Amino acid sequence: MINGNLKATYAADERMVDNRYKQFFVYGMAVLCALMPFAANNYIILVAAQMGIMLIAVVGVNVVIGYTGLLSLGHAAFLAIGAYSIPILHGAMGTLGLPEGIMPFLAIPGAVLISALLGIIVGLPSLRVKGLYLAVATLSANFIVIFLIELKAVSPWTGGVQGINTPDANLLGWELDTQREMFALIAAMAFVTILAVQNLFRTRVGRAFIAIRERDYSAEILGISLLRYKLMSFAISAACCGLAGALFAYFYARILPEQFELALSLQLVAALIVGGMGRIMGPIFGVIIIVTVPEALKFSFGMVAGGSADVAAFRAPLQEIVFGLLIILFLMFEPLGITQIVDRGFRAINRWPFARG
Amino acid sequence: MKLNRRAFLATTTAASATLGAPALLRAQPTEYVFGASLPLTGPFATAGQLVAPAFGLAQRLINEEGGIAGTPIRFVTEDSGYIPANALANYQRALATEGDAMVAYFGDSTGFMKLVAPELIGDQARLMGSTSFASELANPEVNPYQYLAGPTYEDQFDILLRNIKDEGGSTVAFIFSNTEFGRDPLEHGKRRADELGIEVVLEEATRAQGADIPTHVTKLAQSGAEYCILQGYVTGVWPQLIGGARQFGLPTKFMGTFWGMEKIIADRVTAEAGPFLDGYRGVMPYRYSYDLENAPRYQTFAAISKEMFAGTPLEHYMPTWTIQTMCAIELAITALRMTAEKDLPLTAENTAESLSGISDFDMGGYFGGPITMDNNKIGTGRVYQYATDSGLFTPTSDWFTV
Repeated sequence: MINGNLKATYAADERMVDNRYKQFFVYGMAVLCALMPFAANNYIILVAAQMGIMLIAVVGVNVVIGYTGLLSLGHAAFLAIGAYSIPILHGAMGTLGLPEGIMPFLAIPGAVLISALLGIIVGLPSLRVKGLYLAVATLSANFIVIFLIELKAVSPWTGGVQGINTPDANLLGWELDTQREMFALIAAMAFVTILAVQNLFRTRVGRAFIAIRERDYSAEILGISLLRYKLMSFAISAACCGLAGALFAYFYARILPEQFELALSLQLVAALIVGGMGRIMGPIFGVIIIVTVPEALKFSFGMVAGGSADVAAFRAPLQEIVFGLLIILFLMFEPLGITQIVDRGFRAINRWPFARG
Repeated sequence: MKLNRRAFLATTTAASATLGAPALLRAQPTEYVFGASLPLTGPFATAGQLVAPAFGLAQRLINEEGGIAGTPIRFVTEDSGYIPANALANYQRALATEGDAMVAYFGDSTGFMKLVAPELIGDQARLMGSTSFASELANPEVNPYQYLAGPTYEDQFDILLRNIKDEGGSTVAFIFSNTEFGRDPLEHGKRRADELGIEVVLEEATRAQGADIPTHVTKLAQSGAEYCILQGYVTGVWPQLIGGARQFGLPTKFMGTFWGMEKIIADRVTAEAGPFLDGYRGVMPYRYSYDLENAPRYQTFAAISKEMFAGTPLEHYMPTWTIQTMCAIELAITALRMTAEKDLPLTAENTAESLSGISDFDMGGYFGGPITMDNNKIGTGRVYQYATDSGLFTPTSDWFTV
């Protein structure tokens, strides 16, 4: 944590954004996100929206891995369920004759709820196994969900292996049919999710999650029901991923099963590890690194080496190697993630000139 | 100086002309850009790395021929890792950095083409070819800017089934990877087989990589199929399936579609595992690069390749995957040139209209004869057979048009 911040009142201590660095970052990001739909080009909007969707998902992963200490490698399944719920629920509501303008208000909570229910089912093994065993158990969820989506029997609803076109979000007549408009919704939902999850850990429930992470037997002796809170942790985590999936479906015009395979689950966990587990800024820093570094590498390598295919054939694998090395270096020199590096920097600034960090 | 109405008009006209001139100049870029995403890493890196040199060859050839109405073209390629969302990001990055100078794009997968299709609206749209032969893309009403540089997978199944019928075959098995690519032509294939009086005795899905070969071969043996069409594979699974069937002693005749017809892969399999691919057949929309007779374009490729790719496997042979890319590029360039000749701006709408107007056009030897874009595809191909002793695919049928 960043120390050296004077808090003279209880109210100041209770504030969620409780120091000037956080204020600068949060308000700065809010202003940036508000301006981006008007100023940024389509490519920036695309990358920012991808970051927003991933951020919501990683915040969810952080709940179960970072705060509750339950290792899960199957969270792409929850994104898939959230995403596929959108066209299915829209189809069902269309059959009932509901107006399009209210569909997202029902479809998004519906997708979140379905994902949360699946989260409870996937979380059941966490009552008997933990660590790597739990990781393997959750991993299977990813394969099972993708297998079910691709089944021919359900292909009229999911599109099977060929994928399915997704509807545009229509908010009371405002049709979000451009990526720019969708970005506004994604950014708003990302802010709401982060604030909600941050607030969760100021409540009894959040503290129970942390107690389970520190030592589940001790937590049980203290009266925390492992059954209830572990499943609740999975449900909340899956709900966040379901929300990310729902936004994913609205953002892209088509969803394919291959977009939700194991690689996505690993990417979510990698973002959390790089950013810092069990810290609210962890997912933010992690997503910034995981999404922007490959893009920046592509851009910078392209600028230096040119865009010809012959050069691209060499620099593409090189980019992958550089990205992999960066991740390894992060983990070697700061296993607690970028949050820790940033904290150390701000501590040093706060204490300067009396101490260095 | 007193400013009267006449002087005011003259001054403002001159000022507008001066200020407006750069805008006019911007509208005529000094070079056009052809963007591309290729799977240079990931599961199809082998194909991407083989196709990549085609862009250098295409850039040289097209610019030597005068580019597009005298303006040179530059190819900008980026890796996608065969992930549709990455390819979409590549496309939008190219749009942002190259702007109106980018006049066409080459996509790396069916997934990308489907993902990007709804985004191709207004100034975000570009004429777009790809590696895909997905049947769904050959629909100008839904995807007006996307085209196929050959027949759809459904057309390819048509050609193979007609060939089976011509040979008097009565039973066929469909073995396919459990992917969109593998499943694409199945329903159509079953309908067509039924129409032709051929019984489909087995439909077997396999994993795209690392399939359980003995199980699939056993099922094939139990089905008793005379012919087996393999769909949805590139470098792996199909040779192992054929090898497994031969070890099992099955007399089944195996056939493949475009992505399973590459000589480099067949040669490699023969060198490493023996001559069991002898007699393997499949449909190919294009001539092989060594079929130079009456193919002036291929002769040009051969001359340039000898110089550009000296000392590499591409010096004497252009892979079919590269030929497909070259064909897609040349179709787009033809449409762009036709549009430029009409003095129209090179927008997606204008170039797509020119593309759909390509009729009875001589591509210089890619195909069996002049081609026509019908529903944004070219429905032609013929059956080739591989011989392990010569290491060549040779034609065993006439050109079919579907």
